[in-house]
Amino acid sequence: MAGFLKVLFRNLLQGPSTDPFPLVPETFTPDRLRGKVVINQDLCMGCGICSYVCVAGAINIEKREDGHTITVWHNSCCRCAACRQYCPMHAISLEPNWHSAHAEADKYKVIEQKTIAYEPCSVCGKMIRPVPEATLKKLYVHNDDVDLNHVRSLCPSCRQLEDARRSAGLPPAAEKKAVE
Amino acid sequence: MAFDDLLKKNSVRSPWLFRINAGSCNGCDVELATTALIPRYDVERLGCRYCGSPRHADIVLITGPLTTRIRDQVLRVWNEIPEPKVTVAVGICPISGGVFREGYSIDGPIDKYIPVDVNVPGCPPRPQAILEAVALGLKIWKQKLGLEA
Repeated sequence: MAGFLKVLFRNLLQGPSTDPFPLVPETFTPDRLRGKVVINQDLCMGCGICSYVCVAGAINIEKREDGHTITVWHNSCCRCAACRQYCPMHAISLEPNWHSAHAEADKYKVIEQKTIAYEPCSVCGKMIRPVPEATLKKLYVHNDDVDLNHVRSLCPSCRQLEDARRSAGLPPAAEKKAVE
Repeated sequence: MAFDDLLKKNSVRSPWLFRINAGSCNGCDVELATTALIPRYDVERLGCRYCGSPRHADIVLITGPLTTRIRDQVLRVWNEIPEPKVTVAVGICPISGGVFREGYSIDGPIDKYIPVDVNVPGCPPRPQAILEAVALGLKIWKQKLGLEA
């Protein structure tokens, strides 16, 4: 007898359990919900591991001489977060944005697209994607005498030479070029 | 004519939903059942309810990537739904083929055969996202009836 009265009073106090969502704009969203993919263009190196592991083939990377464009089509993305798992730069994340309903006219417009511009190597002039500063700081954490801005502007092979020169005690290559 | 308008005006308060499973993995169908059966998401607040016959339906929700085996049946059932109807593609499979795209048994995406009005991607979409899609479909249905610009 008292048991059901307790339930009755509790339900009266709590109110309806229906989420008033479509009638009011806000609703609850878990913090770690896997929603739309977001690309951090400061970190993306265009290595292509995301499009390789993408189950649904939603990611496309278009490489050009002066940069690369990475595109995620939300209408093909299955929110498995394999790209986030395998991205070596942690450039991909999934924000908890689940608002995905759209009209047919916008079908090919729901994309996440970022274009990353390349810069010429300061020694050989080859177009390269400069390494993000945060990554360089990690890479050269034990070499605090290195000028990171100079290293950042070098292509991988020139950087290798530069590192070899430094270990041999020779002057940096860029200075040599300035003399020529 | 006045009676016809009255009917139209009242019918928008109760759009009936019909589900077509075009070879879905059942994930989206579970979410569709969730939106209707669980009091938390209760799609019946919008006046919707699932009906058993395509001839009674106004908004049709299609799940699945349209397999070759079920294509003709899906088109037959879809053609039985009276005009004006709103087609909602639920999940990434009917929209783009999703993870099954370019498979040997897949004939999708569904807009190759059926004019889709609303897309709601997700694998599966959240019940709230489906509610949003139904609300959007309702708006499009009103436009098709000529009640809203």
